[in-house]
Amino acid sequence: MTSSSSYDLIVIGSGPAGQKAAIQGAKAGKHVALIEQTREVGGACVYQGTIPSKTLRETALKMVQFLHATDVFDFRMRDDLKIASLMTRLDKVVRAHGEFMAEQISRNGIDRFHGRAQFQSDREIKVQGLDGKPTMLSAPLLVIATGSRPRVPDNIPIDHENILDSDSILSLVYLPKSLTVLGGGVIASEYASIFALLGVQVTMIDTADRPLKFMDKELTDQFCEAFEKTGGSYRGQQKIQSAQWDGFSKVITQLGNGETFESEKMLVALGRVANIEHLNVQAAGLTPTARGLVSVNDHCQTTVNHIYAVGDVIGPPSLASCSMEQGRRAVCHALKLDSGDVPEHIPMGIYTIPEMSSVGLSEQEAIDQYGGALVGRANFQEIARGQISGMTNGLLKMIVDTNGEKLLGVHIVGEGATELIHIGQMGLLHNIHIDRFVENIFNFPTLAETYRVAALDIAKQRKK
Amino acid sequence: MSLASTCPTEQAEIEALLSRLTIQLEQEALDLPLLPVVATQVLQISGDPNADVTKLSALIQQDQALAGQILRIANSPAYAARSPIVSLQQSIAWLGMNILASLAFTVSVQSGVFKVKGYEKEIQALWRQALATGLYGKEIARRNRHNVENAFLCGILHTIGKPLIIHLILQNTDKESPQLSWTMIDTIIQELSILAGGKLAEAWQLPEPVQEAIRFYPDETYHQATSPTKGAIITCLADHLASAVVDPSSLDEAAICALPVVQDLNFYPEDMDALFELKETIQQSVESFLT
Repeated sequence: MTSSSSYDLIVIGSGPAGQKAAIQGAKAGKHVALIEQTREVGGACVYQGTIPSKTLRETALKMVQFLHATDVFDFRMRDDLKIASLMTRLDKVVRAHGEFMAEQISRNGIDRFHGRAQFQSDREIKVQGLDGKPTMLSAPLLVIATGSRPRVPDNIPIDHENILDSDSILSLVYLPKSLTVLGGGVIASEYASIFALLGVQVTMIDTADRPLKFMDKELTDQFCEAFEKTGGSYRGQQKIQSAQWDGFSKVITQLGNGETFESEKMLVALGRVANIEHLNVQAAGLTPTARGLVSVNDHCQTTVNHIYAVGDVIGPPSLASCSMEQGRRAVCHALKLDSGDVPEHIPMGIYTIPEMSSVGLSEQEAIDQYGGALVGRANFQEIARGQISGMTNGLLKMIVDTNGEKLLGVHIVGEGATELIHIGQMGLLHNIHIDRFVENIFNFPTLAETYRVAALDIAKQRKK
Repeated sequence: MSLASTCPTEQAEIEALLSRLTIQLEQEALDLPLLPVVATQVLQISGDPNADVTKLSALIQQDQALAGQILRIANSPAYAARSPIVSLQQSIAWLGMNILASLAFTVSVQSGVFKVKGYEKEIQALWRQALATGLYGKEIARRNRHNVENAFLCGILHTIGKPLIIHLILQNTDKESPQLSWTMIDTIIQELSILAGGKLAEAWQLPEPVQEAIRFYPDETYHQATSPTKGAIITCLADHLASAVVDPSSLDEAAICALPVVQDLNFYPEDMDALFELKETIQQSVESFLT
């Protein structure tokens, strides 16, 4: 007979969204079960996504800085050491983060189940363990947070040897001479810029005319410029006819216009798909969308009232930061707890080289909503801190209303952008007058000064 | 095989040999076989980011026996081309740089180390197991969405200590005395092959992840490996699956599925089913190397 246990809340998936949902439930005094199909908790964010790519980026930047200091140190690093160092550090960071998360779950008294969850009804879950043995769990409240994995396009045979996805690229054993990156989104742009910095000849190919099309054009222009300086190139408005290993020594990519590209390796980063195939959501009365997602309302509530879905499984924005908040808010809503104000201004951080970040309205959105906008700019190289750090690029853009008083959005490209954005986020949340950036004192020399410079730029336009 | 199951004379002989070889291995007082020249050069070319296929092709052409074997393998069912492969250039073009490098390396190692007069049958079985492990390793890595490139080399070399032990036993026994029983040799192999393999891998300066897989692939030790390439854990499961390829009658799917390494790789029953289904393909590929 199959064992069965009852809980107040069952959370399926232990990534950022599931973890926060489970912790919120536990903190509210509920008896919580957390089901995870992998051995470790943390989800793709820890093992294949956010944490690994950011660690790789940080290590690559440090390594390149060190390699550039040849006037101080007389040495040369072997190519095989380069990749080994990158991967070893990555492994250490990932392990440490995973252990920290596991400890947090256990500290909150959450019961962990290792296995694949499958709905038996809208309140019952069968957990199939690695040994195939089932465990039955039931709860009056459930949260689906099973995340996503790389999409495998039908016409591209990913073999994890020559044609890789964003999971298998993390276990490269050497740096290839050349890499074709299919895609122009966040994952494609992040990896493309990291490998280009490490001396790999990178070509990005995508249908859009520029990478990261949803970001401010001035930001992506600076990204492209920096990418090209490291030897990378972006081929936009291209349809990929086929991509395959020639069975010999290279991957051949054929474009719709007949052009072909050759490279030693290929990274396919053409989006992600939700992990719902093992869930049997139909048994719970749910129907996946045409794109294979779980549809939810503003409270992350599915069409079955006591089942919530959070994180990548509900689609964009697919940011770890948003997923965490979705997890917390979903459980608060279900338990009728006060979850505070709905976040109005969610920042977006992209860990390309250089970093990009934005919060609030874009210039076009401001024009559409306010009938016009003023834009204040500050280049990092005009700021003392930028000079000291040797920054040759970097830009902060402030978007304000036509009176030049109300802050509507901030967009930054350059090292430190993902940290610097939070000043703008606080400004937006508190509706501060643009002049407050001029009248207040920032540490000197810091990149925070860019806010003052951009605000002065706006003030200058306002007087006209 | 335990020492207790041998007769007292054999037991004493085994213990004496074990003791002598352990001391020699630990004191590094051994005359280890050199990595075959061609294999060394293949490793160098594979690791050189500026190397191209012409260098590898030139290297293979210098060794007639190797060139012949490459041609034979290119024509085997596992790599069968649409039309017969008649030239080395054609086989190079058909097989590709990576497969060619792997083949050249394995063939070279096989001829250099996996040959011991008087024990051909046993050595052939070891070689068969090693090849099957390499091939299964690639499939396990692929199943795990892990880069597969390292897995083959780890697999084919993981038991390199076994033929080495046979070499060393023969070096340490009187040529006039009767040939040792395989039972005796196998007992010493079980005791010392990991240590010997580690020493050989170090002497050959094999890539660090491969050295680690050789030292730590057994069930009891794979969790001690730290390389992100996961060569040890992948090779551990590959070795178990390879045993079923070498001796199909030994296949006990339930026993393999219950191994801790399966759990540690986070393989569900359906993952294991997919791996079991590959048995015949792997078997065919192994035969193509050997026939």
